[in-house]
Amino acid sequence: MAQTNEEFVASVVRQVLKEISVEAPASAAAKSASGITAADYPLGMKRRDVLKSPRGIPFDELTLENVESGKVAFEDFSISPDVLSMQGDIASSAGRTQIALNFNRAREMTKIPDERILEIYNSLRPHRSTKEEMLGIADELQNKFGAAVCAEFVREAADVYQRRKLLKGDLPTD
Amino acid sequence: MKINPELLEKIVREVLAGMETEIETGGKSEPSLSNSSPSNPPLPASETVAGVQMTEKGPAARGTDPKEIVLAVSPAFATAFKTTIVDIPHSSVLRQVFAGAEEEGIHIRVIRVYHTADVAFMAHHAARISGSGIGIGILSRGTSVIHQRDLNPLSNLELFPQSPVIDLPTFRAIGKNAAKYAKGESPTPVPTNNDPMARPRYQGLAALLHNKEAGFQDRSKASQELSVSFE
Amino acid sequence: MADAKRSKRFEILEKRPVHLDGFIGEWIEVGLYAMGSPQDPKPSIKIEGDKIVEMDGKSRGEFTMIEQFVADYAINVKNAREAMAKSETEIARMLVDINVSREECIKVFTALTPSKIARVMEEMNVVEMMMAMQKMRCRQTPANQAHVTSAKDHPVMLAADAAEATFRGFKEIETTVGVVRYAPFNALALLVGGQVGRRGTLSQDALEEAFELQVGMRGLTSYAETVSVYGTERVFVDGDDTPWSKAFLASAYASRGLKMRFTSGTGSEVQMGAAEGKSMLYLETLCVMVTKGAGVQGLQNGSISCIGVPAAVPSGLRAVTAENLITMCLDLEVASGNDQTFSHSDQRRTARTMPQFLPGTDWIFSGYSSTPNYDNMFAGSNWDISDVDDYLALQRDFKVDGGLRPVKEEDVVAVRNKAARAMQAVFAELGFPPITDEEVEACTYANGSKDIGDRNIPEDLKAAERLMKDAVTGVDVAKALAKRGFRDVAESIILMMRQRVAGDYLQTSAWVGSDGTVYSAVNDPNTYMGPGTGYKMSEERWEEIKAIPWAIRAEDV
Repeated sequence: MAQTNEEFVASVVRQVLKEISVEAPASAAAKSASGITAADYPLGMKRRDVLKSPRGIPFDELTLENVESGKVAFEDFSISPDVLSMQGDIASSAGRTQIALNFNRAREMTKIPDERILEIYNSLRPHRSTKEEMLGIADELQNKFGAAVCAEFVREAADVYQRRKLLKGDLPTD
Repeated sequence: MKINPELLEKIVREVLAGMETEIETGGKSEPSLSNSSPSNPPLPASETVAGVQMTEKGPAARGTDPKEIVLAVSPAFATAFKTTIVDIPHSSVLRQVFAGAEEEGIHIRVIRVYHTADVAFMAHHAARISGSGIGIGILSRGTSVIHQRDLNPLSNLELFPQSPVIDLPTFRAIGKNAAKYAKGESPTPVPTNNDPMARPRYQGLAALLHNKEAGFQDRSKASQELSVSFE
Repeated sequence: MADAKRSKRFEILEKRPVHLDGFIGEWIEVGLYAMGSPQDPKPSIKIEGDKIVEMDGKSRGEFTMIEQFVADYAINVKNAREAMAKSETEIARMLVDINVSREECIKVFTALTPSKIARVMEEMNVVEMMMAMQKMRCRQTPANQAHVTSAKDHPVMLAADAAEATFRGFKEIETTVGVVRYAPFNALALLVGGQVGRRGTLSQDALEEAFELQVGMRGLTSYAETVSVYGTERVFVDGDDTPWSKAFLASAYASRGLKMRFTSGTGSEVQMGAAEGKSMLYLETLCVMVTKGAGVQGLQNGSISCIGVPAAVPSGLRAVTAENLITMCLDLEVASGNDQTFSHSDQRRTARTMPQFLPGTDWIFSGYSSTPNYDNMFAGSNWDISDVDDYLALQRDFKVDGGLRPVKEEDVVAVRNKAARAMQAVFAELGFPPITDEEVEACTYANGSKDIGDRNIPEDLKAAERLMKDAVTGVDVAKALAKRGFRDVAESIILMMRQRVAGDYLQTSAWVGSDGTVYSAVNDPNTYMGPGTGYKMSEERWEEIKAIPWAIRAEDV
């Protein structure tokens, strides 16, 4: 148990350090160049060396034994922003640019808790939010989660919803 | 295949009427976004169909009585259409739903919804203005939903998507179960009849009927409270 | 009429099953029209800078939300002028020309407007469409998906049927419910049963969008499919979404390491009464393009639950074939329908499936009913388990890989029993209403829910609610299985959980092999360029397909 705690602290530190480096402005542009291409696919077979859980546990340690011993928890079976970048690069190298853009949004969303993602999704449904509420969500995405691509996407949606009368208050029953 | 000949005749007559209107106006359509729907004759605000009198009383309001459930029907229900897709009279449908709820000591308030012909949204809207938070939606062809206020519109408590297999005992059970939900109970859901061959037989016709039904929609019109009396 | 003298022949013809099907005439004004309606827009494009300012006769300021999304995200502006300059006939000919590669075709199609794409399809007959599908589907090796449902939402029966389905060869399995609140148990049954039948099975629970995402996040499902998109703004809004909310949802799935595809299909808009007078195929083209623009890897189409509508009008099943082909031409995975009843006629049922079965698609059925159709809670599939030996015979007759394999009765009984017992163990370990040995026995040998008893439904529903409230995860299920002696099944679930970390199955048209290897359009791309190229059945696979157990062998006579 003591060992688990130690590992946990180490992984948190690693995570924090990683986030600090992401926030450094210079790294943002260079980020997409993971060097991974379609030739490395599937990563789960060919490139296990680069696969890690979000808190840094190597892919090969995500086993039933480690689940039973408590070394690995449900949260470790999650995709990391880095792996989403690599999968985005694989999609791009196979000519699928829209998929890469989707993974780019997804990469940002890994930092948003499940509950909040579901709430935001529901807020983006038609006639759920005012324009101000949508712009507020965009600001939250940008400032709280560093999700600039998602934020822009929500701002664009707010404009379209306004033009097409899909905001809260645009229905006779509201 | 059995199709109610009266219903078919009515559809054909209305389609023709719609086409005539177009010819008269030089084929010009209305400038609204929904101009593709064929024009329909205006609906009467009050009508008696074989045993039930329904009169519009004004805009539907939010209720506070925890012993009520709200039933939302479509504009064409018991007006342009008189029966479900399998010829069950709308008056009998209402009677059974009412009876089912009354057995549980719950009463039903009926509204007519104009802004959507989607049964899930109709039922959800009904639930939102219902004192108990429970609503029912029924389309003219019989498709029904039991809904609860705090669920997402396309979620539901119970859904009866296959209009051709909904019979009178099922309508009664829908009223009864909706009432039980209103009382905070968790009833056993109404057994779902599943007829895999209903689609091959009825889906084309259902699409035809729904396009008629949707033609009576008015996106900008608020729901109306109905007084309902059985004779 | 009753007294008129009748032709005996006509009297007999009228009693044939095909006369139970609903056929209706075209109605152009509301869009009861399969493809090429006179009311469909004419193709056009105007580009300023890198923005499309006019598309199919409409200027940008008048775009619906769908048109704006498609114009901004789904069309490669760089290639658009050149691609749009080609005639529809020329593009259609590229599709059937074995000397033109898939890549060249994709380059053109991803730069066309919706109306142009729909019109290319009008140039083609169904045989040409099938030739094109052979080349254009994105994964080389075809596969198949099954529905696993129960009229009683019986968790033990669902687990047993899931195991049998995946043992028979279905690589993806999908469930839905009779009663919505049973949904968590259905997901659990497919997770456990699916892995018992074949390690690596992908499973999903088709329900309301937010719920689907939630069970996926918990690791109770590994992919999602019923994320619906529509071709008119009104119907999209009635579906309670917009292209932006759906694209956001798609990214949410990817952010949790979950595979997903969208769903659409001809006929849905007119079925919902708001086709705005456009043909079914034109509106479906918009749906495919919304999917493309959202960056989603694939689409389930082929009319799906609205199949009764296109099937009722002239050229309807041709339009249904065309919509699968359009999906492939936009470089998307296609789960190609065949998943809903549409006819009483066995001839029509079989014929409807041939355009996908013969050339092969990524997922030939997006729900072959692995149960009798009376248990199919998607309201019945075009083929059900009673037809499975016919299907195996067709694979053998035509030497076609339809994704299934012949099986022995004793093997099926064994996997069903193991799945039922595994489910019993999970329920016991998690404190859910007990599963008796009698239930295990009944579900092992049953054909459908008519052969088994009833569960205590209110108790089950309370427990299902608790499963969600306590946030039970795939890891909890694996632990429960391991603790009760089902270590191999637990390992399989962990193998699936690991897919979420690697993300390989997020790529186009992926399935998971039993050793955890992911196969997709990236490492198994379609290379067809005429006879002697493309998918080649291995000797081993051909021996498997040949070996239907009921064939008479020379040495036995």
